[in-house]
Amino acid sequence: MEKGKFKERFTKFHDKNYKLLILIPVALLLFGFVYMGFFYSQHHDFIYKDVSLTGGTTATVNVIDKPIDINNLKNAISGKLEGVNIREISDLITNKQTAIVVETKSDSQITKTVLENYLGYSLDEQNSSFEFTRSGLSENFYKQLLIAVLIAFVLMAIVVFIQFKTIVPSLTVISCAFADIFMTLVTANILGLQISTAGIVAFLMLIGYSVDTDILLTTKAIKRDNGSLNKRLFESFKTGITMTLTAIFSVSVSLIIIGSFSSILSQIFTIMLIGLIFDIINTWVTNASIIKWYALKKQKKHEA
Amino acid sequence: MKLKFTWKIWLWLIFLILALISIFITPTFLQKGVLVKSVNQNSSIFEQGLRTEQVITAIDGKTINNVDDYFKIMQSKFPATENVKTIITTSGGEYSIYSNKVPEITVSNLPKTNLKTGLDLSGGARALVQAKDHKLTSSEVNDLVNVVSNRLNVYGFSDISIKAVSDSPIPGRGNNYMSVEAAGKTPKELENLISQQGKFEAKIGNETVFIGGEKDITNVARSGQGVGISCPSGQSGVNGYYCQFQFTISMSQKAAERQAAITNNLSVVSSSSGKNYLSKPLDLYLDDKFYSNLSISSDLKGQVTTQISIEGSGTGLTLQDASNAAQDEMKKLQTVLMTGSLPFQLEIVKIDTISPTLGQTFTKYILIAGVASLLTVVVIIFIKYKKWKLAIPPLIICTSEIIITLGIAAIIKQDLDLPGIAGILAAIGTGVDDQIVVLDEARTKEALSIKQRIKRAFTIILGAYFTAAVSLLPLLWAGAGLLKGFAIMSLIGITLGVLITRPAFADIVNMIEE
Repeated sequence: MEKGKFKERFTKFHDKNYKLLILIPVALLLFGFVYMGFFYSQHHDFIYKDVSLTGGTTATVNVIDKPIDINNLKNAISGKLEGVNIREISDLITNKQTAIVVETKSDSQITKTVLENYLGYSLDEQNSSFEFTRSGLSENFYKQLLIAVLIAFVLMAIVVFIQFKTIVPSLTVISCAFADIFMTLVTANILGLQISTAGIVAFLMLIGYSVDTDILLTTKAIKRDNGSLNKRLFESFKTGITMTLTAIFSVSVSLIIIGSFSSILSQIFTIMLIGLIFDIINTWVTNASIIKWYALKKQKKHEA
Repeated sequence: MKLKFTWKIWLWLIFLILALISIFITPTFLQKGVLVKSVNQNSSIFEQGLRTEQVITAIDGKTINNVDDYFKIMQSKFPATENVKTIITTSGGEYSIYSNKVPEITVSNLPKTNLKTGLDLSGGARALVQAKDHKLTSSEVNDLVNVVSNRLNVYGFSDISIKAVSDSPIPGRGNNYMSVEAAGKTPKELENLISQQGKFEAKIGNETVFIGGEKDITNVARSGQGVGISCPSGQSGVNGYYCQFQFTISMSQKAAERQAAITNNLSVVSSSSGKNYLSKPLDLYLDDKFYSNLSISSDLKGQVTTQISIEGSGTGLTLQDASNAAQDEMKKLQTVLMTGSLPFQLEIVKIDTISPTLGQTFTKYILIAGVASLLTVVVIIFIKYKKWKLAIPPLIICTSEIIITLGIAAIIKQDLDLPGIAGILAAIGTGVDDQIVVLDEARTKEALSIKQRIKRAFTIILGAYFTAAVSLLPLLWAGAGLLKGFAIMSLIGITLGVLITRPAFADIVNMIEE
C-alpha cells in the first residue's frame, strides 16, 4: 500500500515539476563550462595528461625481496629526472609491495641509469619494464584520439537520427551523451586524474554506455502507445536503472580488485564509474523530462 | 520444464563448441615435447633442416615432455671440453650434431591454447620507428621493413614481427611507422639494429673505397679461416679487458680496382716494428662516425685484391664481457656490411620493453575481477527478479560471450592485450544491459505474445548496438594501431552478442517463462 501511495505521490510531483527538474543538469553543465573555461585558460588543454600523452617514460620495477621506500626514492631521483611521479603496486591479499611505477618526462635511457644508480643493480627485462614515448608522437596520438572521439560522437549522432527520424528526441539523446562525457571530464579534472591513452578510450566507451539507456527510454516513450506515458516512462526507468546499477556495481567490483595493478584498466573503470553515475542524472532527469515535455505537446496537438 | 531447443539456441551452442575447438585444439594438440621458437641461421642444425615450429620430442633417445626436461639434458651435457654427439628427435625428423656448445636454438613449452597474449601480458619489446626529419610515405616504410627484416634475419633474430603501420584509414594520409615487436626475451641488440642506419664506409684519405651492402661487398665470411676473437691476456686497463675480432670480406671487382687506383698514389713508410705500410690507412666509418682504421701492408700498393680483413674490438669489465662485446660488435658489423645501410636516418619514437613477470600476476587479477563482476551481475539480477531461474542464464550467456569472442580472436590471430581485455569487458557490459532489456520486455504485463515482446526488445538492442559499433570505428586507426585491440575485441563481442548469444538468451528466457 505504502509503495502504491509513494508511486502516486511521485507521479504527481513529477507531472508538476518535471520541467523544473531540467534545471539540475543545466546548472551542472553551466558550472562545468565555467570550470572548463578556467581550466583551459590555466593549462591550455582540456585534461591533465599523463606521460603516455605528453611523452616520457613509465618504468615499472618489480620488487623482488625487500620493498622500496617510495619517499626516499622520490627525494633521490627528483632532481635528476623531469616531472617525477611514483606509485606502488601491492598485492591484493597480502598487501605486500610487488612493484613500483615511476613516471617521468625524461627518456628511458636516462631513467634507467638514474634508477639503476639508486637501486644499485642493473635493470633488465626480467626485473623491470620500460615504456617510452617521444613527445612528438604522443602529441600526435593525443590529437588523433581527440579526433577519434569526435568522429565517434558524430557517427553515433547520425545513427541516432536514423533511428528516431525526429529532431527533438534525437537531439535529446545526443545531448545526454554529450553531457555524460562532459560532466565526467569536469569531474576527472576536479579529481586531478592524469588521463592516459586508455583514459580517452574510456570516454569513447561512455558514448556506447550512455546512449543505450537513452535509446531504451526514448523508444518506449515515443515509439509505443500502450498504457499511459507516465507508466511507460516508469517502466523504462525500472529497466534502465537496473542496467546502470548493474554496470556501476560490476565496474566498482573490478576497480577494487584491479586496484593499483593496472593503471590502464583502473583508469578505464574509474572514468566509466563517474560516467555511469552522471548517466543516471542525464537519462532520468534530463532526457526523461524533455521527452515527457515533447510527448505531451505532441499529444495535445493530436487532440486539438 | 520440457526442453525444446530453438534453432537460435542450437546456433549458439554450435558457436560455443566451435569456439572451444578453435581455442583449445592447437596444432600440437595431444603431442608432447618442446616447441622450437628460433634457430640460428648460421648453425649446423639449421643447415640440417631444423626449423621453428617443429616439436622436439626426444634428445639422445630420452623423451622430452617440457622445457625443464630439455634444459636438464642440455645442462648435463654442455659446456663440454670436446665435441659430443647430440641426437635431436623432432616431429620433422632426426638431427645429429657434434659440438661442445649448446645447440643454437630456443625452445618453449607447447602452447596449451591458440590464444596469443599481447606484449603487455607476456612480456617482450615493441617499438615504433620513424625517419628523422622526413615524413615516410607508405612505399618508403615498406622498403624500410624489407631492409630491416633482412638485417634481423642476417643477425640471427627470427621471432620478431616487423610491419608497416599507419594511423589513418585513408591511404597516403596520416603518419606511417615501422612497427617492430619481439615476444618474450628482449634481444639486447634490437634497439641498435632497428634504429641504426648502418651506413658503412671505408675510406683512404677522403676517397671512398667501398660501402656496406651487396653492390660493393660480395661476401662476408662469418666462420672459418681469418674469422675469430682473440683476447690478449693481462690487458686490463681503465676499461677493464679488451678483445679483438677479425673477419674477412670479399669486395666486388670494381671496389677492388678503386682501391688499387687509390693505393697506387700512396707512398710506403716503415713502422717501428720494421714492417712496411702505406702512408695512409684504410679508415672505417659507421654512420659517419670514425670506427677504426686498418694499416695497409706495402705489398698491396696498386694491387687489385678482393679479399680484405676487417678488425675491431670490444671491451668489458671481465674477460667474458669483453669477449661477448667483441662478438656482438663483430656480428653487428658483419650485418651492416652484408645488408647495407637503411635508406633513412631513423629515430625510435616509442619503445616499450615489458617484463613477463608482472603479466602473469596480471592475468590472475583480471580473471578474479571478471568472475567477481559476473557474480555481481547474477546477484543483482536475482535481487531484482527473485528467481534463480532468471539469474543463471545471464551468467551462462556472458561466459559464452567471452568464450566465443576468444575463439574468434584465436581464429583471426588477434593478440590478447590489455586494451583487448578492456574491449571484451565493454562488450560483456553491453551484453548484460541487453539481457536486462530482454528480461523486462518479456515480463511486461501487456497483452502481447512473448514473441512480440522479444521483438520489441530487439529494436532497442539493435539501436544501442549500431551506436556502440560506429563509435568504435575510429579507434581502428587512431594511435598507430596501439589501441586496435580494444576496438576489435569489443566489435567482435557486441556483434556476436547481437547476432548469436542475445537471441539465444531471448529464446532461453522464452522457454523459462512459458
